Amino acid sequence: MATDSRDPEKRQHESPTLERAAVLKELKALIVRAQDGDEGAVPRLREILRARPELAREFVDPAVQTERSMIETYAGGDGLAVRETLPHTLEAFRAKLEGESPSPLEQLLVERIAATWLQLHYFETIYAQNMDKLTIPQSEFHQKRIDRAHRRHLSAVKTLAQIRKMGPAVQINIAEKQINTAG
Amino acid sequence: MPPFPVVLRFIRCPAFVTIRNVAWEERGGYRYYYRSVRRGARVVKEYVGTGPVAEATAQLDEENRRKRDEEAKAWEEERRRMEALEAPIEELCDAAETLARAALLAAGYRQHNRGEWRMRRGDRQP
Repeated sequence: MATDSRDPEKRQHESPTLERAAVLKELKALIVRAQDGDEGAVPRLREILRARPELAREFVDPAVQTERSMIETYAGGDGLAVRETLPHTLEAFRAKLEGESPSPLEQLLVERIAATWLQLHYFETIYAQNMDKLTIPQSEFHQKRIDRAHRRHLSAVKTLAQIRKMGPAVQINIAEKQINTAG
Repeated sequence: MPPFPVVLRFIRCPAFVTIRNVAWEERGGYRYYYRSVRRGARVVKEYVGTGPVAEATAQLDEENRRKRDEEAKAWEEERRRMEALEAPIEELCDAAETLARAALLAAGYRQHNRGEWRMRRGDRQP
């Protein structure tokens, strides 16, 4: 499978979004190779993660932006209360999940849980508010969308639990300075 | 005057009948109003009538059709808006999942039958 074999340093001249997308693409290809039993893929994975210990953190900011735009959509034109209270609710939610000194990967995974939770609640609210006006196909469309959001949320929670269960070794590889997850 | 008295049938369509198309047919200088309606799997042409009442019915059908089209358009817009909301979350999930998997593999784990992650034998990190 083709991978982007250029040095991470060389790729840093590209725009951050494109560069991150290129790294992700390479990681995905390496993951497939590693899962298929290709022994050469794992050292390359380690090399990339060592060269970019802050990679996970780089995805946190776009995630926070996504969350903000979701809150705006949720609040609508005059939802001042939602706009004011929801960020605090999410902040408390995140703080509880992150713990005292989360690694960049943990922060990203927690951000993902917060975003999927928010999305699930938004879809459920929209459905509940419009239930009596919807046709059967429209109702099915909403329910499928809620199911997808629910699956995404569960998967997000499961991944964080998995990373925490595996303990410090995983954290060392994603950000060498952080050895702080519960073992 | 039409060759026969004004006949009006199905002026009010039952809810289960979907009007697919409406048409005026002209014969002998008179216009006759028909509707194509779906009855189960079949689409049948139904005679509605002629004269001013048929004109009014046609107008009503046209209005209903326009309302349905507007509702369909609004629903399509809503659907697109919702899909646009899902896209960035999916991207975030994809990135987080990829990094988590990469971290697990780099730490010496492998996924067993797409389920549990287990430490590879002899691959424990120092």
